[in-house]
Amino acid sequence: MTSTLDQHGQHELQHGHPAPRRRGIFMRPGYLRALWVTPLFFLIGMYIVVALRALAGWDPVYDWEYIVLVAGMVTAPIGFLLGIGTFDYWLYWISGRPTLVDDHANHGAYSWKDYFKVNTDHKVIGIQYLVTTFFFFVVGGFLAMLFRAELAEPGMQFFDTQTFNGLVSAHATLMIFVFIIPAFAGLANFAVPLMLGAPDMAFPRLNALSFWMLPVAGTLFLASFLAPGGAFATGWTSYAPLASEQPFGQVFFNMGVQWAGASSIATALNFLVTIITMRAPGMTFWRMPLLVWANFTTSLLVVIATPFIAGSQFFVMFDRVMHTSFFTPDNGGYVLGYQHIFWFYSHPAVYIMVLPGFGIISEIISVFSRKPIFGYRLMAVSLIGILVLAFSVWAHHMFVAGMADWLRIPMMISTLLIAVPTGIKVFSWLATLWEGKIHLNTPMLFALGFISTFVIGGLSGVYLAAVPIDIHASDTYFIVAHIHYVLFGGSVFTIFAGIYYWFPKMTGRMYDERLGKLHFWSTFIAFNVTFFPMHWVGLDGMPRRVADYAATYGALNMVISVASFVLGASVVIFAFNMITSWARGPIAESNPWRAMTIEWQVSSPPPVFNFDEIPQVVGGPYEYGVPGARHAVLKGGALQEAHV
Amino acid sequence: MVVIAVVAAVIASLVAVLIRWLPESASEEMDRITFVYWFATIICIGIFALVAAVIIEAVWAFRVQPDDDTDGPPIHGNTKLEIAWTVVPAILVIAIGVVSAVVLSKNANAGSDPLEVKVFAQQFAWKFEYPGKVQSEELVMPLHRSVEFEMQSADVIHSLWIPQMGQKQDVVPGITTKIVITPTRTGDFTLICTELCGLGHATMRAPVRVLEQAAFRRWLDEQRAAGAGAGAAAGGTGGGQSSGGGSAAGDAALGKTTFASAGCGGCHTFEPAGTDAQVGPDLDNLVADAKKAGEPEAQYIEQSIVDPDAVIVSGYQPGVMPTTFGKTLSPAELSGLVAFLSGKEAN
Repeated sequence: MTSTLDQHGQHELQHGHPAPRRRGIFMRPGYLRALWVTPLFFLIGMYIVVALRALAGWDPVYDWEYIVLVAGMVTAPIGFLLGIGTFDYWLYWISGRPTLVDDHANHGAYSWKDYFKVNTDHKVIGIQYLVTTFFFFVVGGFLAMLFRAELAEPGMQFFDTQTFNGLVSAHATLMIFVFIIPAFAGLANFAVPLMLGAPDMAFPRLNALSFWMLPVAGTLFLASFLAPGGAFATGWTSYAPLASEQPFGQVFFNMGVQWAGASSIATALNFLVTIITMRAPGMTFWRMPLLVWANFTTSLLVVIATPFIAGSQFFVMFDRVMHTSFFTPDNGGYVLGYQHIFWFYSHPAVYIMVLPGFGIISEIISVFSRKPIFGYRLMAVSLIGILVLAFSVWAHHMFVAGMADWLRIPMMISTLLIAVPTGIKVFSWLATLWEGKIHLNTPMLFALGFISTFVIGGLSGVYLAAVPIDIHASDTYFIVAHIHYVLFGGSVFTIFAGIYYWFPKMTGRMYDERLGKLHFWSTFIAFNVTFFPMHWVGLDGMPRRVADYAATYGALNMVISVASFVLGASVVIFAFNMITSWARGPIAESNPWRAMTIEWQVSSPPPVFNFDEIPQVVGGPYEYGVPGARHAVLKGGALQEAHV
Repeated sequence: MVVIAVVAAVIASLVAVLIRWLPESASEEMDRITFVYWFATIICIGIFALVAAVIIEAVWAFRVQPDDDTDGPPIHGNTKLEIAWTVVPAILVIAIGVVSAVVLSKNANAGSDPLEVKVFAQQFAWKFEYPGKVQSEELVMPLHRSVEFEMQSADVIHSLWIPQMGQKQDVVPGITTKIVITPTRTGDFTLICTELCGLGHATMRAPVRVLEQAAFRRWLDEQRAAGAGAGAAAGGTGGGQSSGGGSAAGDAALGKTTFASAGCGGCHTFEPAGTDAQVGPDLDNLVADAKKAGEPEAQYIEQSIVDPDAVIVSGYQPGVMPTTFGKTLSPAELSGLVAFLSGKEAN
């Protein structure tokens, strides 16, 4: 059992490099350095703006909107990333100063403090992602409680309409951009390299940078509440031209999306390179666990689609600050162009938010039914089918938008066809359950709960694909019900399933099963009571994104609001279970679920470099019930004690 | 499993039938939408029942004790079954697609003799224009005659929807969009904006009335006559620009209609107009507000309409009220509004 500090010393000897000079406390990467570099970069950005305005003779020279935009949303975040230390290695390299190729000083976590520092270990980054995104999940949920309080009764009680619209918009934005998408990135960060038999991600330092861009994005979204005129209030869809005319808070959305998007793209590239180049010997594509397949297709979606939302938000912002007219009706702008570009990202984004969940569910259903995944190859192929179709359906969000009429029918057909690969996945999971030996542990409960709610979300999707019904239901609470069945009943349930499933592997301790089951049932029931009635009020005539509504919907909205508070409270059970179990839960075995995939063949938590020797993959990942079958052979790494 | 499937199907069917999911139809288009809705519902109930039955039966029949370490049978797949659940759903969704396409083309067809109504949307009000330049803040439609709407927006995207009539269409600045509605029953309805358009979005509504064809013709004739009179009056005061004491009452009447047509009530409470929205300052307090600003009341009101950010009532934000009213209102409408708001009685 060697500690990495010893290894560190050995590497120095081997390479003969002098160690970099030990720097003072304000010069070392970390929060103290960030504390002065961030304001410094703010001032740099600020005086670029001031100098340019002074040179051009514009009045006022100190225009705070432009200063906050350039200094607060661009240069200060760069200063923060520099200060915290995400660029240190690269800057040493660029400036020709000595670097240690095998410098693992920032790798692995030896105390809880290491989780608050820049770290290049994929397992640490995975947990950093999960904890950070959980924070934004709680904040986003709290915003939802606030506007559900307003909606409990018709009329206006607590907020004015601008604040209400801001709460709705910030809720959706936090949940989508800094909770669901990065939470999946966190789970995959932890699991994918282990499942591949790889020592880490392909680009560990880029991985760290991707993570540290997230708090920047989340902070910008939240800071918009401090802007004059309030938070961005145009929904997470932020349609032009309203978005280019709104108070300044809107720019926080435009720029926050850039940081979240950059983080997403960098992570996705990292996954693609890792999956393509770092599979263990014998790990052919047809032997990869479905979670890896799912993240492979998701990463392709991210890399291809995300630049479109980045572009759309830049253009909306340019319409405001540079008086371009991309999406304004005067000067030849094209209002609907925004929606085409936005949805060209944001429809694939729906699959970005659900395919990794499909992967998690496949792992769990197979392990807890003790059976191979039914139709493994078709499961992988259907992911590719969804990937391809995902890019041909964006305009189904625009059936009432006034786009070219002829586009409706083809977009409807391709949308309906997506039900086919999705159906294949659901039916294959059901067939995997059939005749299995089913263990109803918490991950499995969330997996079964996911299938039930996701089927309802999928079926309401079929209604919405049918253009005539969509014309009636568009922009009503039916849509709100549908997206929550897909994104909460779909994505969030799978995130919970995944966290419970890998909790023993991540922490080396077992969560409390009784609390887990209590969390599942309270979430499942409160979720359905909250969101199912929304189908009804929507079809009956209640539009979405309204602070006030017709009195006839009062009773149902009261039910929805009360259930949503119960749903919020159920998260407390989860948080309590996670925190107490991590601190003093019973020590977990290395493979409590008797799973075959490689991450379960090493200790819990895994060694800092995952494997002492790269595993040899010899068969499929789900050969349960096949006598003598193995997925991978590990020498040395198996059952080794953790380094801590 | 069959028993569970039947039970699940019956429960789902009861939920579908006993709850009145869709509002009672009031248009031919909504009748067809309702048909597609039930067509899809029957298919969806079947699929839901199947999935629910398999999950429940599997958990019931195949659940084992926690200490059971055995594995299930190593079944890797079944090609026939996999082909079946690829092909059958494909056929079902294509069927929904075909039905939808037929209904869509019917719902877009205005027939040979539609009534053409122009719709103008702006933050946060609706205006309707009938043949012969008759303008109205209320949407009145004849029974059993297709109405073809031609819609334009002055500022941002809005969306027109009358829930009982199903059809919905965004109103987009820079382009003209169209929609067809053929009412099938008389009565009062509400038109609501369904595309988030800013502060007053939640209350951007307009009253809708469907009348028998003869009654509709009478209403249109009345409007024509009244419109001609009001137009002449507005032209007179607007051209003269000399709004002495005598014409103030006439102004206030025009002001009252302008208050409604420009959508002031979407954001402001003003008792004489019967509005109670709370987005912007309460206009019943104008006298006090003008005093606070130290300006004569009429001047204060006109300035607040044309240049709303000049004086901000405490507790409110600048940049919220549209700054376009100076351009969109005629001088007569503006002076009328000032008269109406400063409390001169409309006759």
